[in-house]
Amino acid sequence: MTPQSPNNGPVLREHSYDGIQEYDQKLPNWWLFTWYITMVWFVIAWVAYYQLSLGESGEEQVDKALAKIQAVQLKELEKLTDDKLWAMSQDDKVVGAGAATFATTCVACHAPDLSAHINGAKLPGQPLNDTEWKHGGNPLQILSIVRKGAPDLTKGMPPWEPQLGLNRVVEVVAFILSKHKKGEPITLSADSPLKPGAAAATPPAAAASVTSPAAPAATPPAPATAVPSAAGK
Amino acid sequence: MTTNASKITIEFDDRTVRRFMIASIIWGIVGMLAGVFIASQLNFHQLNLASWLSFGRLRPLHTNAVIFAFVGNMMFAGIYYSTQRLCKARTASDLLSNIHFWGWQLIIVAAAITLPLGLTRGQEYAELIWPINIAVALIWVVFSVNFFWTLAKRNEPSLYVALWFYIATIITIAMLYIVNHLSIPTSWTHSYTIFAGVQNGLVQWWYGHNAVAFFLTTPILGIMYYFLPKAAERPVYSYRLSIVHFWSLVFIYIWAGPHHLLNTALPKWLQMLGTFFSLMLWAPSWGGMLNGLLTLRGAWDKLRTDPVIKFFVAAVTFYGMSTFEGPLLSIRAVNALSHYSDWTIGHVHAGAMGWNGFMAAGMFYWLTPRLYGTKLYSTSWANFHFWIGTIGILIYVAAMWWSGIMQGLMLNATTPDGLALVYPNFIDTLTSIRFLMGFRIIGGSLYLVGMILMGVNIWLTIRKGSPVNESREVAVIERTQRDTMSLKETFLNDPIACTFAGMLLVLAWLFLPPGADIAALICAGVFAVLAVKRFQTGHNRWSQWYESLLHNWMPFTVLTFVAVALGGLIQIIPTVMVNRATNVEDRIQQPYTPLELAGRDIYVSEGCYNCHSQMIRTMLPDVLRYGDYSRLGESIYDHPFQWGSKRTGPDLAREGGKYPHSWHYDHMKDPRAISVGSNMPAYPNLFTEKFDQKTLWKKIAVMTQLGVPYPAMTDTEVKTKAVEQGIQIVKELEIQGRSGALPDTKIVALIAYLQKLGKFDVPDLEGKLKGTPAGIPFPLKPGIPDGYRSSAVTK
Repeated sequence: MTPQSPNNGPVLREHSYDGIQEYDQKLPNWWLFTWYITMVWFVIAWVAYYQLSLGESGEEQVDKALAKIQAVQLKELEKLTDDKLWAMSQDDKVVGAGAATFATTCVACHAPDLSAHINGAKLPGQPLNDTEWKHGGNPLQILSIVRKGAPDLTKGMPPWEPQLGLNRVVEVVAFILSKHKKGEPITLSADSPLKPGAAAATPPAAAASVTSPAAPAATPPAPATAVPSAAGK
Repeated sequence: MTTNASKITIEFDDRTVRRFMIASIIWGIVGMLAGVFIASQLNFHQLNLASWLSFGRLRPLHTNAVIFAFVGNMMFAGIYYSTQRLCKARTASDLLSNIHFWGWQLIIVAAAITLPLGLTRGQEYAELIWPINIAVALIWVVFSVNFFWTLAKRNEPSLYVALWFYIATIITIAMLYIVNHLSIPTSWTHSYTIFAGVQNGLVQWWYGHNAVAFFLTTPILGIMYYFLPKAAERPVYSYRLSIVHFWSLVFIYIWAGPHHLLNTALPKWLQMLGTFFSLMLWAPSWGGMLNGLLTLRGAWDKLRTDPVIKFFVAAVTFYGMSTFEGPLLSIRAVNALSHYSDWTIGHVHAGAMGWNGFMAAGMFYWLTPRLYGTKLYSTSWANFHFWIGTIGILIYVAAMWWSGIMQGLMLNATTPDGLALVYPNFIDTLTSIRFLMGFRIIGGSLYLVGMILMGVNIWLTIRKGSPVNESREVAVIERTQRDTMSLKETFLNDPIACTFAGMLLVLAWLFLPPGADIAALICAGVFAVLAVKRFQTGHNRWSQWYESLLHNWMPFTVLTFVAVALGGLIQIIPTVMVNRATNVEDRIQQPYTPLELAGRDIYVSEGCYNCHSQMIRTMLPDVLRYGDYSRLGESIYDHPFQWGSKRTGPDLAREGGKYPHSWHYDHMKDPRAISVGSNMPAYPNLFTEKFDQKTLWKKIAVMTQLGVPYPAMTDTEVKTKAVEQGIQIVKELEIQGRSGALPDTKIVALIAYLQKLGKFDVPDLEGKLKGTPAGIPFPLKPGIPDGYRSSAVTK
């Protein structure tokens, strides 16, 4: 091992450890300065973000963004009516977008044909292709349940508005409505929380033909779909 | 060098080195095979062939095998070889060496049996069950005694830099391992960690991050300092750099753990310390890289011919790359993208395969001919190993960068108006990285082929040669030439005084109330200037003190321990108090019912945390996708915490009540029936196996002891409660058309647990808790054993 130095100045230390010697080079300046910068940054950032609380915290940012979303949604919601949603259900573009979201997000529980059945097996969701509704069959009622969900361990529906955003929810509702006719009879299912005095579980026999008070009265009676699980159009 | 000393001939114990080397190669191949297998499972869920071969159970096996079996044995081989030569003494005790070797292999076998059986503590790299923990601690003590005893018997007065790193490794791993594994057993195979929620998170990542630092980095740096100059036959670049980067590395590393918990519910000051110490760690890490690479000045020609140098150069380069990437990933904004994604996986594999794997390969190729008195069987095979390994790493790491960044961007993308997620379906983001997961299998397989090739090459070399134990004539040094430093000399001197005074001022700046803190900062600045002045005038005395410190292993070890203990103490002790009433952020977790607790143990046992987090970060995309961000109080009864570190599947912090039972029932039976394109394993065994009722009472008793407010219950009451809730769930499942579930099966317990996730109470002003039995005092220090509270709740 030659003690010759590869640059000017460095000292080769005398001691040898199992044949290994060490130079005593000075620390590279660029390396030292990188380190100093990170230390100075620590001081500046701690003073700025922690001691002076400059800038917004993650919590504040999230709360602000959520408040903004809520404000915009409130405005959008004010504009929405049953008629408007029915109109959207005739708009191919909206329905197409809704169908796409439905195909990825909703089919797991409501099935591609909206029957909530696959190969005869019942899926966790409610059938959406019949005229019997649990949470109401008006467009705005459907919108509300898709937006807010119905936390219920036996027949729960997650709130989809946060994850999908209001626009996608509206599109999905338009898609569902496109499988229905404006003015068709709407019945409430036996376990519907909307039924008068619904709190207790009622025997299913009583359920079949209660017409929702919200059903539009002026429309001509459409032939009732007799079989609840009939395939969608 | 020594003049008047008597000379003796010693024979080094190279048998232990050979054994550890061979064990390392065998376990390395096994561990990497497990890695390729679990990587394949991510793309081909059908490979989850049986419950004991499912991803959640095998992933801990892979990580533990590579860290503790492959790198562990490699490190021991390197330490035993170099320490004897650097101390000019045979290892102190052959008996201890034997116990160390066989004990460690037994631990590995025990881990390989228990982990696939689903016996786990549920914390990453700390999964092994408590009896194995005790064995690890004991064997580590055997190793330490053997090592320090050798130091005490050394015939070389001064400690070389490699030994500094070994010392730091031994004492720090002991400290980390013991603290993070403190648990109370509930049976021979199960225990609950004494820490819960945020404390558990902090302690776990203090351990987890520093397992990387002190198991995968410092011992390997020590090995680099011995084997690289040996192979290059060049002097080490800079002694001064060794000193500065050693002490800064061991001191700063410890503080960086919280960067694993950025944007979570972890208190802000800890997150900031984690980030800034990670940034300050960059230069000390690169100090090691520089000292490695610059040592090769004048020997670069060897790079063309010597595979050993090739491996070392590539390894040190990968070390530099990983230690640059680490601080980058610790920046909050970058972390918001990278965390929970494959980017982190790529980062650790660049380190593990590039740095650890290649250092191991270089060392083994250098050692084998010397340990067996022959030439390497094939240098061209070794060269081929180098190239196939390098290409494997590059493919792997590039795939993971691409995958991590792409999935991170997709998950965090919001529409331009900021109103909605662009990709609301988690599965879409998974589908788009599937092909990159495929490339990972290719990269990993290439690397594995290289490893196997090395195994064969070394095996053929061994067959060619025969074991050689090196003998050497050494001068015995007088007792007075080493280990004479007194406590006073150790501590009462300028370097130590300046360091500690400076540190105190910095701590005062961090912790004093407003006003005083800024004053302390100014004092610290002024003090720093004075200290530098003092160093400039008296640097000879400083150098002399350090030289004499190097002649004294005990004071050196004590100072190293102080350096590594400080960061942990300062971060963890305040956190023991951080859950005080105001800090639970107005939410307090509802304790689990017996059935839910049984379900949680199944969740832990199946390793669900390997793919699912339970921590919604303070980021809009997280909140939109998973719900309101998680609060500290929402996991204060979680022993162990399950915040997770990777989202191969979505976060589950607020999963409870989102879907009906039947959704979970169908999903566990066949995940793809519910979410098309999912890569989650199916869990058919949960539908037939019974959950553990026998130890449930004991588990609740331990939970109570740890401060979870359970009412007093007898064994029968616990079982009855569990089964009653099971029957209720079975009934609800029947209403949904899922008949045939049995109330005592694992699936029912797991559904109970999943439906409880995210359930909390809001403590009102009178201190009463809604929904929990009245009269329970508000937990002051949840998570640490609290005799007062456990007796209060059982009254």
